[in-house]
Amino acid sequence: MPLLSVDQLEMRFGERLIQTGVSFQVEKGTIFAIMGGSGCGKSTLLKHMVGLLPPAAGSVSYNGVDYWQCAQAQQAQLRAGFGMLFQSAALWSSMTLLENVCLPLEQHTTLDEAQRDRRAREALEWVALDEFADYFPSDLSGGMKKRAGLARAIAAQPPLLFLDEPSAGLDPISSKRLDDLVLEIRERTGAAVVFVSHELPSLFSIADDGIFLDADSKHPIAHGSPRALRDSADHPTVRAFLRREEPPQSRLANTL
Amino acid sequence: MQLAALLPIRPVTYLGQVLISAAAGAAGRWRFRAKDLGQIVADCSARAVPIVTVVNILVGAILAFVGAVQLIKFGAGIYVADGVAIAVSREMAAIITAVVMAGRTGAAFAAEIATMQANEEVDALEVLGIDPVDFLVLPRVLALLLMMPLLFIYACVTGLFGGMMVAAGMLNVSAVAYVDRVGDALSWAHLGLGLSKSIVFGALIGLVGCYCGLYAKRNAAGVGVATTSAVVVSIVGIIVLDAVFAVCANALDI
Repeated sequence: MPLLSVDQLEMRFGERLIQTGVSFQVEKGTIFAIMGGSGCGKSTLLKHMVGLLPPAAGSVSYNGVDYWQCAQAQQAQLRAGFGMLFQSAALWSSMTLLENVCLPLEQHTTLDEAQRDRRAREALEWVALDEFADYFPSDLSGGMKKRAGLARAIAAQPPLLFLDEPSAGLDPISSKRLDDLVLEIRERTGAAVVFVSHELPSLFSIADDGIFLDADSKHPIAHGSPRALRDSADHPTVRAFLRREEPPQSRLANTL
Repeated sequence: MQLAALLPIRPVTYLGQVLISAAAGAAGRWRFRAKDLGQIVADCSARAVPIVTVVNILVGAILAFVGAVQLIKFGAGIYVADGVAIAVSREMAAIITAVVMAGRTGAAFAAEIATMQANEEVDALEVLGIDPVDFLVLPRVLALLLMMPLLFIYACVTGLFGGMMVAAGMLNVSAVAYVDRVGDALSWAHLGLGLSKSIVFGALIGLVGCYCGLYAKRNAAGVGVATTSAVVVSIVGIIVLDAVFAVCANALDI
């Protein structure tokens, strides 16, 4: 049974259709990329998967249990099975890094305070921020915030991680470091990772599988690993996106 | 048209969520951190004292001055103490303190939570399975519920002190005579009414500030709008509730 299964999901913003017919599965230990141009609904899809926004239709299932059909108590149990890194890191600004990382442990584990503290410090050490445990998020750089957000997401060692544009806005070295961290997390914990990105180097270096959402046709137009899609995708938009070329029917191309 | 269609859905839902969370809290299932509650309590009590002091001393002095100008004509200057005592304890201490708290604490709640909303911090709580009402709203409302009555009592004392300065300066009323008249004029009914108002105003400021923050648009302008709305709605709400209190007090002959 797949760890995560999305079936015929339909996304709307009010009356406006964003995507329809979105279906894919994520197996244990897989790094799965959600690709597509800006405004195609990648982050919205992530919100449907993590329980922030109910979809217009379709299902999101964890180990075969449909999240949006569950009672609140069961949804809370399912949420314990994943961690999330937000695009802005979304660290709680009134808490130190250590407190940020401890909160998921308080919520999802039965560890006592000393154990939580030790586990949180280990998570911070993993992302090389152990020296900054008592710092507040406002004292950190963008890359450090992302790494702290990652530490918070992995602290409770969930089997599934969601990462929303993890390397967006980072310099190439920080971006590469974050990619390496994601690979290391997968290796050490066996967690599956679902990440939204349009950073091509990240897509090619870490993703095993993925789906490509198209804003014009409003449905997924390709499914497979980013490297394979770059080399042999049928759809010209997918090839152009992954090779960083102008798509043939681009409105931008026609106006320039 | 059905009655349900006339109800503003979002505020009513919000109020219901707060009541459910408060009921769970009363049963011992608090979900917020004691440290956060402590910080909020400090912010809306000790740190509010200077401004509450200044404003209430001046209001007490203004009341005494207005009263003195009229009473002095009848040679009844000493009764300025009665006027200040009744006005401060029944009305002014609660209202002025609430307006000050709406402007500083209610606005701060709205701005803080709206910024958290814009920075996806509220989403991060929800993904973790933490209800923002439990974690963000309850400690703020609780802090104001606990601190507003104390601030009210303090505001009464400072307001009376302001009145005493004017009475001593303009009317040559001694401090002992002033305090003696205040003791005669004050009743538990006046103080109880003012205290009840302060609790209700505290709940209103906390609920409105957090509501405006939670439902703010996720951008910088949204933070500004949330802050403005929190202050305006709170102050209008305070005046409306005070009118309701006045009608009820009159009906109950308090």
